[in-house]
Amino acid sequence: MARAVPADPHDGEAVAKRIENRWALTMVGLVALLVAMVIFTGLHWATMPPSRVETINPSTLHVSGEFVESNLGSAVETDGSVTVRIVGQQYSFTPQCIVVPSRTPVTFRVTSADVIHGMLITGTNINSMVSPGYISTFKTRFEKPGDHLMPCHEFCGTGHEGMWANVKVVEPDAFARLVGPTRRASCDL
Amino acid sequence: MSGPLLRNRWFVGSVGGTFLLLVFSVFVGFVWLPSAQDDSLFKGLLNSICSAAGVPRSWLGEASAPVTSPVKVSEVVMTPTTLDEPSSGGGVGRGATLALRCTMCHGLRGVSTSQTPTLAGQYASSLYKELRDFQSGARASAVMAPLVAELHDQDLRDLSAYYASLPRQQSPATQDLQSAPDIVATGAPMRNIPPCGSCHGRLTAKLGVPWLDPQPRDYLKTQLEAFAHGTRRNDTSAQMRNIARNMTTEEIDASVDYYSGTR
Ligand SMILES: [Cu+2]
Repeated sequence: MARAVPADPHDGEAVAKRIENRWALTMVGLVALLVAMVIFTGLHWATMPPSRVETINPSTLHVSGEFVESNLGSAVETDGSVTVRIVGQQYSFTPQCIVVPSRTPVTFRVTSADVIHGMLITGTNINSMVSPGYISTFKTRFEKPGDHLMPCHEFCGTGHEGMWANVKVVEPDAFARLVGPTRRASCDL
Repeated sequence: MSGPLLRNRWFVGSVGGTFLLLVFSVFVGFVWLPSAQDDSLFKGLLNSICSAAGVPRSWLGEASAPVTSPVKVSEVVMTPTTLDEPSSGGGVGRGATLALRCTMCHGLRGVSTSQTPTLAGQYASSLYKELRDFQSGARASAVMAPLVAELHDQDLRDLSAYYASLPRQQSPATQDLQSAPDIVATGAPMRNIPPCGSCHGRLTAKLGVPWLDPQPRDYLKTQLEAFAHGTRRNDTSAQMRNIARNMTTEEIDASVDYYSGTR
């Protein structure tokens, strides 16, 4: 019976194969482009999935450990870098005013005492979730002195809109004058 | 069965290609991209795989030891289940007996007629937290400190349960959020102030935070100003000081008037 089928005058099989080939090449090209974009942004813009996972008990932040109230704000380390510790809670960041030196390596350590908050610093690429139970750690450097706002960008409850902090970047020598005997600094009143 | 499939070059090409893509992507995500990070915990094959996969680790490295507070701060750990441990249930009767020592200032049934706070219908979590803070000295009071010094944790839980069980007094003026001043209903978001009602009831409540109305006007004003000036510091992680210090005198008066029913 199959032999009775007349030869295809339009050469259908060859046409289908050509189209399949083109589609396959297009798809491979698309996938290659996407993977290349991921690699490029990962290597040159340091875009990475949040993978610095570290856990902490959110209900005892104020009792012991590095997030006790007296240890919040900017801490000057022995190597000259600065560690900034912040607690987010309904509905404020503590400290409410964060001061850091310009042209200095800064490590942020941020966590939440209750629900999921977020933080971003305007005019920079700093943007992170602030989750209860986890510490968000990231390193950065501010080149120029200036004032930035730091709003909570994750809806966290009815007072969310009132939740933000100030970030003041000052010259390193001005920062040095703000640092007290405990090597901690913040610009809270 | 597998013979004809493996001879089909479309099958081999697509499945094989997808598999190779998977292997390559795993390499990119777990090895190549982590290697661009400068943390020591991303160095080395095992480290970079674990870190990229999200194994919890300590990311701070070398850091100076935490600075401890020179003043006493609140050490009360509040979770939604803090007050419902089995032993603390049904302590209302025992709390009522213990409360005899409180009636002189806080009223026979927890309703104050002087400048001391009204306790009837207060949230148990808030009562318990404040009692613990009076006991530890995190909240200073020459009157309260000796009264709670001898009490056990269970006593404080029972007292909290008792006062929480009493009927709440409500002044008509404050029943309606429509009549609330802006500071209570909307806050002042441009000046870092969330609405009072977002933590103190009416809008939403926050664990360990007191219900405020009606309370004596002088008491409310004294406490709000103490938070603003940093002389009262038992609010966990400065949650109330952060707000009070940004409030204007007018806002303090407006909120105090609202929550006291101008009593
Ligand atoms: Cu928030």
